[in-house]
Amino acid sequence: MKQPLIVLEKVTKVYTTGADTIHALRGISLSIDVNEYVAIMGPSGSGKSTLMHILGCLDTPSSGRYWFGGRDVTTLDDEELAQIRNREIGFVFQLFNLLPRATALKNVELPLIYAGVPAEERRRRARAALEAVGLGDRLFHRPTELSGGQRQRVAIARALVIEPSVILADEPTGNLDTAAGLDIMRLFERIWARGTTIVVVTHEEHIARHARRIIRIRDGLIESDTPNPEPITALPSPPVQLP
Amino acid sequence: MRRTELREALSTAVSALRFNAFRSLLATLGIAIGALFVSLMGWLLYGLDTALERTITLLGQDMLYVDKWDWSGRTRWAEVRSRKDITLQQARALAQELQTAQIVAPLIEAYGVRLSTGASTATVTVTGTVSAYGLTPAGTVALGRFFAPVEDRSNTPVVVLGHAVARQLFPTTHPLGQTIRLAGHPFTVIGVLVQQGTIFTQEIDKRVYIPLPLFIRLFGAANRSVTIAVKAGSEERMEQLRQELRGLMRRIRRLAPEAPDDFSINEIQAIREEITGLRQAVWGIGLGMSMLSFVVGIIGIVNIMFVSVAERTLEIGIRKAVGARRRSIALQFLIEAALLCLAGATIAVVLGNAIAALTRTVVPQAEFLPPYIPLYHIGIALALASTAGIIAGWVPALRAARLHPVEALRYE
Ligand SMILES: Nc1ncnc2c1ncn2[C@@H]1O[C@H](COP(=O)(O)OP(=O)(O)OP(=O)(O)O)[C@@H](O)[C@H]1O
Ligand SMILES: [Mg+2]
Repeated sequence: MKQPLIVLEKVTKVYTTGADTIHALRGISLSIDVNEYVAIMGPSGSGKSTLMHILGCLDTPSSGRYWFGGRDVTTLDDEELAQIRNREIGFVFQLFNLLPRATALKNVELPLIYAGVPAEERRRRARAALEAVGLGDRLFHRPTELSGGQRQRVAIARALVIEPSVILADEPTGNLDTAAGLDIMRLFERIWARGTTIVVVTHEEHIARHARRIIRIRDGLIESDTPNPEPITALPSPPVQLP
Repeated sequence: MRRTELREALSTAVSALRFNAFRSLLATLGIAIGALFVSLMGWLLYGLDTALERTITLLGQDMLYVDKWDWSGRTRWAEVRSRKDITLQQARALAQELQTAQIVAPLIEAYGVRLSTGASTATVTVTGTVSAYGLTPAGTVALGRFFAPVEDRSNTPVVVLGHAVARQLFPTTHPLGQTIRLAGHPFTVIGVLVQQGTIFTQEIDKRVYIPLPLFIRLFGAANRSVTIAVKAGSEERMEQLRQELRGLMRRIRRLAPEAPDDFSINEIQAIREEITGLRQAVWGIGLGMSMLSFVVGIIGIVNIMFVSVAERTLEIGIRKAVGARRRSIALQFLIEAALLCLAGATIAVVLGNAIAALTRTVVPQAEFLPPYIPLYHIGIALALASTAGIIAGWVPALRAARLHPVEALRYE
């Protein structure tokens, strides 16, 4: 049974910088169900990241409505948005965005700290999340001591550790070579298979083709929104072994 | 605020400070100097007060001194000066009629008397009194004895030296049994008083005591106002004694009912007022200097905290993205600022203790100053410094808390 997780209705985002007004989003309406796997594509400057920030409750629309899990997010205050980010949303960024001085374990614990999870349980869950992304042997490494692919996997573990409703990934493979990028996509495949909703922003066709649905945007508007009949699931090399 | 968040804020603040240890120390200089001033001020005040209290205790808290002079300085100088001297006869009359007192002893003084031994000379104040004075705290001997009752009537030339006089005249030899000359007349030293004065009451120890009849023969009683030392015996009887003294003195001095007292009933406590000026000076200067340092310090901390917030903008963005609330972020920076100042103040307190210890080693005469900063003032210094930190951290912390998550994440 289909159950909408994300519903946008005529969402716009306008930036004013000095005399300029930039219409980053011009009226986006879309619905994403629980456990969909969606890729958002579009040329540079088309508004993909802006859309992601709104989806992730990091930013609020200039107009329009946004329901997340049936809740009207546009009426929520800062505090409540922080709580949604903390409980429901896992972010994965192009530049990883890990705390540079913290170990992998500490980075993954971070969302649990703000959720008020006691230390022991926090450590256990963070370790399990790191093991799930194949980094069980890198718990106490700092980001600078890890490869790009490993850093992104730490970031994914950090997104996973809260057992989010949705993982939002903005160009997650943008800073990785092809092999490392593929590793990440395999990981998403596994996470999706376990029931998590995934939204990936990319401008690479071969990355987008892992998703089951592809939304193309241009100049702040949806250009097309189509299912992907032939998703890449047969992976070219054996998948990372997850526990 | 959840415990996990509080602990996170604390540990983040600590690691941020450790990461920038040198810069942090530099930034906290103003606060450290402020805290140092507060510590030293507390130390000095504590020293002054201890010294004063010790003198008061040594001289006796249950003593009253009937005198022409008002020790507290509350009566107008012109009025005091125009009072008639208190005579020995009046003192004797008072001693005979007084009921409440335990001890009554007249004191009569001659100033600037030349004192000599074979080896050295000095100028001292000579006090003529009776054996009973030896029973008051002020007449307590460290060596030998005070006059015996027989010496009140005989003309035996005996003398009891004040502590400072004894030390000056006989730095190496034993003073008892030695002969000294007062205004040319030989006296035998029979006792040395305990040390009573401190830094600001040193004069007390620069006196010598001889029996009253001898005093009158050598120096005369004319134009000398007598001070009558009276010991109540207990502090509870002080008020009753005061009343009785006043009534008797008014009668003995034949005052008309409406006339004001032409004498004062003084207490040792009055010397407290001698140091109020000094205390206020220490307070004022200490307060001024420390406040100035704290203001400069706060400006420094505000600056460094803005730098810290700017440097860690991306970190703030990351924390917000994973669900940190505004107050968690604000708390992190407030704690950082408070810890920064606390660290500065801790260094200052350690330094202050070193100064206190060193002062005692280098200047042994300053024995009224404790060789450490009193705990109470350490507490005040630390509390003031962390308050300064929180004040200084406020605006930067708010700025950090209000950062827009997306803007913060875009920061490089
Ligand atoms: N804070 C901002 N202030 C002003 N304009 C902005 C701001 N953020 C984004 N924009 C503008 O909004 C438009 C959409 O930007 P956005 O970052 O969403 O694009 P994008 O699709 O993610 O591009 P890319 O593929 O390069 O990441 C761009 O024209 C951009 O210049
Ligand atoms: Mg983008």
